[in-house]
Formats: sequence, C-alpha cells, structure tokens
Amino acid sequence: MKATATARWLLRKETVLRRVRGVRLVTVLAVGGLSLAVAAGCGKPPAKNASGGSGGGQYKACMVTDTGGIDDHSFNASAWQGMQDAKAADSSVVVQNTQSSSEQDYEPNLTKFVQAKCDLIVGVGGLMADAVTKVAKANPKQQFAIIDANVALSNVYSMQFNTAQPAFQAGYLAAGMSKTGKVATYGGLKIPPVTIYEDGFAEGVAYYNQQKHKSVKLLGWDEKSQKGVFANSFTDQNKGQSITKTFLSQGADIVLPVAGGTAQGTASTTAASNGKQSTIFVDFDGCVSASTYCKTFLTSVTKGIAGSVKDAVVAGQKGKPLTGSYIGDLKNKGVGLAPYHDWDSKVPGALKTEVTQIGADIESGKITVKSTAQPK
Amino acid sequence: MVGPGQVMVSDVVAESVAVHGFWTRSRKSGLVYLIVGLFAAVVFGLATKAGETATFTLSTKPGGAGLDLPARAFAIGFGLVCALTGAALLAGYFRRHFGATTAVAIVSFVLSFLCWQVAGNDLPLVGLAQQTLFLAVPLILGSLAGVLGERSGVINVAIEGQLLTGAFCGALFGSIAASAWVGLVAAAIGGGLIGAILAVLAIRYLVDQVVLGVVLNVFAMGVTGYLYDRFMQPNTQAYNNPPTFPAIHIPLLADIPVIGPVLFQNTIITYLAIVLVVVVSLALTKTRWGLRTRAVGEHPTAADTLGIRVRLVRYRNVIMGGLIAGIGGAALTVGSVGQFGKDMSNGRGFIALAALIFGRWSPTGALLGALLFGFADALQSNLSSLNSVVPSQFLTMLPYIATILAVAGLVGKVRAPAADGKPYVKS
Repeated sequence: MKATATARWLLRKETVLRRVRGVRLVTVLAVGGLSLAVAAGCGKPPAKNASGGSGGGQYKACMVTDTGGIDDHSFNASAWQGMQDAKAADSSVVVQNTQSSSEQDYEPNLTKFVQAKCDLIVGVGGLMADAVTKVAKANPKQQFAIIDANVALSNVYSMQFNTAQPAFQAGYLAAGMSKTGKVATYGGLKIPPVTIYEDGFAEGVAYYNQQKHKSVKLLGWDEKSQKGVFANSFTDQNKGQSITKTFLSQGADIVLPVAGGTAQGTASTTAASNGKQSTIFVDFDGCVSASTYCKTFLTSVTKGIAGSVKDAVVAGQKGKPLTGSYIGDLKNKGVGLAPYHDWDSKVPGALKTEVTQIGADIESGKITVKSTAQPK
Repeated sequence: MVGPGQVMVSDVVAESVAVHGFWTRSRKSGLVYLIVGLFAAVVFGLATKAGETATFTLSTKPGGAGLDLPARAFAIGFGLVCALTGAALLAGYFRRHFGATTAVAIVSFVLSFLCWQVAGNDLPLVGLAQQTLFLAVPLILGSLAGVLGERSGVINVAIEGQLLTGAFCGALFGSIAASAWVGLVAAAIGGGLIGAILAVLAIRYLVDQVVLGVVLNVFAMGVTGYLYDRFMQPNTQAYNNPPTFPAIHIPLLADIPVIGPVLFQNTIITYLAIVLVVVVSLALTKTRWGLRTRAVGEHPTAADTLGIRVRLVRYRNVIMGGLIAGIGGAALTVGSVGQFGKDMSNGRGFIALAALIFGRWSPTGALLGALLFGFADALQSNLSSLNSVVPSQFLTMLPYIATILAVAGLVGKVRAPAADGKPYVKS
C-alpha cells in the first residue's frame, strides 16, 4: 500500500512540475513573440543616426511616421526617402525616425523629439494634424513640418498635395483606354488624402464622357454622395484582390486602387489578364516601387512627397525660415502622371496629347477640378 | 444497448420540454423569422422603387444572360416566404425539419434583401460564387485543422498563427526555389511546426490550451513580422516574389455554364481543400483512425483502457491539423496574390474557428460554415460597388455579423467533444 501511495505522490509531483515547465516555455514564446513584434515595429537601429545634437554644425531632422510604418510603400516611405535624400545632398544633415503604432503615439513621439533637440520635426499624415498643432503651440520656438494637412501656426510648415489634378488626367486616360466602357476605383479608408484621388478620377471620367459623348461608367466611387468601395485596410492584399475581382466581374477593365499595400492585390489580379486589364498605381510610380507588376501599370498618379520633404530639410539646414504652406500641384510639379512604361506603345498618340493638354488646361485654370477634398 | 449519444439526445429533448413549456426553441425561432420576414417585406419592399428590375447575371461576361426580376414584387415575396416559414414553426409545424426550415427562412430573407439592393442594377452571380469559394478556401482548411485537433481533444486557437506562418513560409521558400510547389510544401511544414509546438506544450506540458493558442498567435505574428521587416521587405525580388499556382481548367467540366467557372476553374489548393474535406469526413467515420480519434476526444480514459495510445493519437492529429492549416496559409500567398504582407491572415483563423463551431465539429459542417463566411465577405464587396444605400461600414461588418449570428443564434445547442481541451494524465 505504502509503495503505491509513494508512486502516486511522485506522479503528482511530476505532473505539477511539468505544468510549471510548460508555463515557463509558454512565457518564453509570448515574450519572444512580443519583443520581436516590437523590434520589427521600431525600424532600423538608430546607431549611426542618433549621434550628435543640434550642436557641432549638424542639422537634425526627425520624422514621426503614421501608423502605416516606414515600409508602407506609400507616404511614410516617401517622406523617409526625402529625409535620406536631404542627408545625401548635405552631409551636415542627420536624420532619424520613430514609428507610431497607434494614434495615441503621435503626441508622445513628437514630444520625445522636442526633448531630443531636433532642429526640424516632420509629422507624416493628415491624421497627425491635431497632435502637431498641440505640440507646436506648446513649443513655439521648435520648427515643425506636416504632410497632408494644413496647420496654421508660424512654426509649422504645411505640405499638401493636390492629387485630384493628375487623378483627373488619369480618369480621362482610363476612360479613353477602357475597352469595356467601365473603369473602377476603391480606397483604403474614407479619408481626404484617399478620396481626393477618387474625386479627381471621377471628374476625369465625366469630362471624357462630356467631350466625346460617351458613357464610360465608374464603379466604386460616387463623388456626389461621397460613397464608394473601401478595403478598410492599407495592407490586406487578398482583400484588394477580392475587390478587384468583383470589379472585373462587373465588367471594369481598368482599376485605380488608392489603398497602399492593398493595391498589390489589384496589380497581381490585372497582371494575370494578359494585358486585357490594367491598374493605375498611386503615390509612387508603380514601375519603380512595385516593379514586379510593371507590365500591368497603365500609368501612376504620383505625389512628390519625397522631393518636397527633401527641399524643406535642405532649406531648413540653410537657415531659411520654414513657415506657411506648400501645395504640390501640376504647375510646380509636386504631383504628376508617371510615364506609361510598358503601355507606351498601346496608348494612342491622340489620347496622349489630350491627356497632356488637360494637364495644361488645369494649370491654366481652363479646367477646374471641383473635389472638395483639395487642399486650400 | 443504448449508446451514450442517444441518452444525451433524449435527455435534452425531455429537458427542453420540461423547462420551456410552450416556448420551445423552434417556436422562439419561428417568432423571430416571422418578425424579420414581415420587416423585410415592408421595409425592403417599400424601399425598392416600383418598376425597377434586379438583374442577376448568370453569364461570366458582364451584361450577359441573366435573370431579370421585378425587384419590388420579389423583395416583398421573399420577405413573406420568410414570414410564412416563421408562422409555420410558431404554429408547431415542421418541428422535425427545423434545420431545413431555418435554411429556407434565412435564404429567403437574404434574397429579399438582395432584390432591394440590386434593384436597377446587376449582380454577377457567377463572380459572386467564384469569390465565395476563393475567400472560403483558407477558412475551409483552417477549420479542418480545428476539426482534427478538437475531435481528438485538443483545442486549437492557434489556427490564425498557423495560417500566417503557412503564408509566410509559402512566400519565402516559394521565392527562393522559384516554385509554387516548394512554397506549398514549405507552407504545410510551417503550419505543422506551429502545430507541433501546440501539441508538445498542450499534451506533454499540460498548458491551458486556449491561453497557449493565443500565445502561439502572438509568437507567429512576432516572428513573421520581424523576418518580414528585416529580410523580406529590403529584398522583395529575392525573398517575397513567389510564383503562383495557375487556375486549372478541368476539361469538359469547366465548360458547363455557371457551375463550370465556379467549381472547375480553380487552383490546385482549392481542389485540395475540397478533397481533404471529403477524405477527413470519411476517415473520421469509416476508418480505425477515425474511431480512435473520436474515442480519444470523447473519453480518453476508456480509450486508454482499450489499449489506444491517447497521447500519440493527439500528437498525430494536432500536427496533421497544423499541416492542413499551413496549406490554408499557402492559399493566401502562392494560391492567390503571391507576395506576403505583414499580418496578412487578418483574423481569418478566428473566423475559421467560428466556422468549426458553426459546423458542429464535423468536416462537412466546417465546409458549409466557411462557405457562409466566404459568401458574406464576397457579398460585401459586391454590394459596396453597387453604390448601396447601406453605409459601407455596415457592409464591412457583414462577415462578422454573420459570424456572431451563426455562432450565437443559429447553431443552438452544440456539443463539443467531451474531452475537448482537457489534457490526459494517467492516474
């Protein structure tokens, strides 16, 4: 009897110990996973960037990203590119960035850079406008800049882009190129920096119909009611693919996705059509940033964030005051239409001329783009 | 002899009559269908303009052959059908065919809604069905993984992590080897690896299985996210550019109108998913392995006494489940868009878990559940492109609302395998 009791006790002890070990292993997994996730979110180690303050002739430019992160293939990446270009152009510029994983991070991140004595703090994205306003008011001697929003303070330089203008051209081009008489667009989220493209695109299609007495239909966005299709994600490629397949089955053959990484799903879908369908990329020239799918990009509506950020940083370094607001448009080449690349031979010459002419007409004010999302 | 299952069923019936009296489950549901049906007939009917037609295109070509229905009449008609089935249930008819009646009520409600939404427009039915299946594939494979684990008594909340790891390995190794097949195998192994960790910690180290599943999801997110940022992102061409599987047209069958394009023009992963559902379904009921799995999941001590090696069966099933969920992950990368994106599984693993419960832990049920959620998802993108009057935020909620309704309302009383989630310790 006693022997079995001992054996049972040993067995129970063994079971308890095993549970303890198990919990320990699980903790290791959880902590490992979380710290890797955080490490991934924190971007590159700032080893070579963080050194030095504002002294020693250095100009320290610091950037706070939006929640999309530094590798979003979109405006955060462009802005960071601009910072690095500025550094390449002028060796006294040092750059560094911090990433926001939620909207609650904006203010602490901006404040952190104020304390780190950055010469210029760049906030990326319209969603950061409130945070920048608050921190800039509290620190009137600190220089700030913001992208995609207008903050009317003397120590904030606002950079905005009227992408409705080139999107208008793209809409006209798409309407002219569509074989099925239907084109489509969808967004990542219903926010002005997204809908501005869709508005411009819609107006371009309407302008084509009016000029040529055609009735090309636009799926996915209605400018009047401001309603349309949204992926509710700037990352989910499969969602992008599913939306695109819907459009294609409804008869569209050219799609304009305004949805960051989600747009890759559109590109991969139209790329499988052997040239029957195509995608118009936004923000970057698609043939450069998503070169795998170059053959399916009819063109891209580009937004020169990188260039204007670089100009701002270089101007700041030279001691020029950064204030007021900059609006990138067709006239100052802050926005534009990318080359046709692989489609160059397929777009009729007459259509190309018309698209260029429309650009000139928008610059001269002969055509007015009506989108209410345009920066003023 | 009376089996344990039979005893239980009669107990439940006796209990429900004793406790609920007149308001049995089917009467309550009947009342709900009656109200909802009348609501549909009145609201959807009135909202539809008289004289508009709703076109349901059957051809793969946009604007091709289809059904033109007078929208208003059909919106009201289908609403009334839903209300009538509700009334019949309330009156005490069809109690024996509760499932079928429920299906009729729900389908007619959905059709009434569609007639209203599509009025004056056209809805490509074939496209909708194609997308339903396409979106359902990861869910089918994910919930099948759940079936394998849970029928043998191990809860698998880590399906999300397995899908993600599968998607990641598929993209990475598919790119390195420049072969979608290598990607598929790697994806299965990746998912299997998470399955193996789950198995060891749950079976050998007796860790709480729900907590463990959540931790594994965090782990998978962290590892894939980190590797993506550090290696894939800077070298997209080399590490994140896998070839994808082409759609295989099955000769003859693929040319059948309507059915052909939906069922017989898919990628190998879709066919594999359907074959796996059939195989697992047959194997669970007809083979020795299946009997043992079920025995271990229901009453491990009894199974042990009969000489079945409980823990071995569980290890095998959980790891096999991981392999299958990994293939589901491959469906997201080498089976569709190719490139991997951070956290690209986007909660599909949890929807798969819901499909599993909705399908009452059976492979065919899981298939139906997955198709239901796929349909809700496909419908959402179709409707939002028709400029629906329903705000897009609500349309986006569709799959999740369907999940909640399905799991909380429709399944009614479900019974998980008796030993589900309980580690087996010999005493």
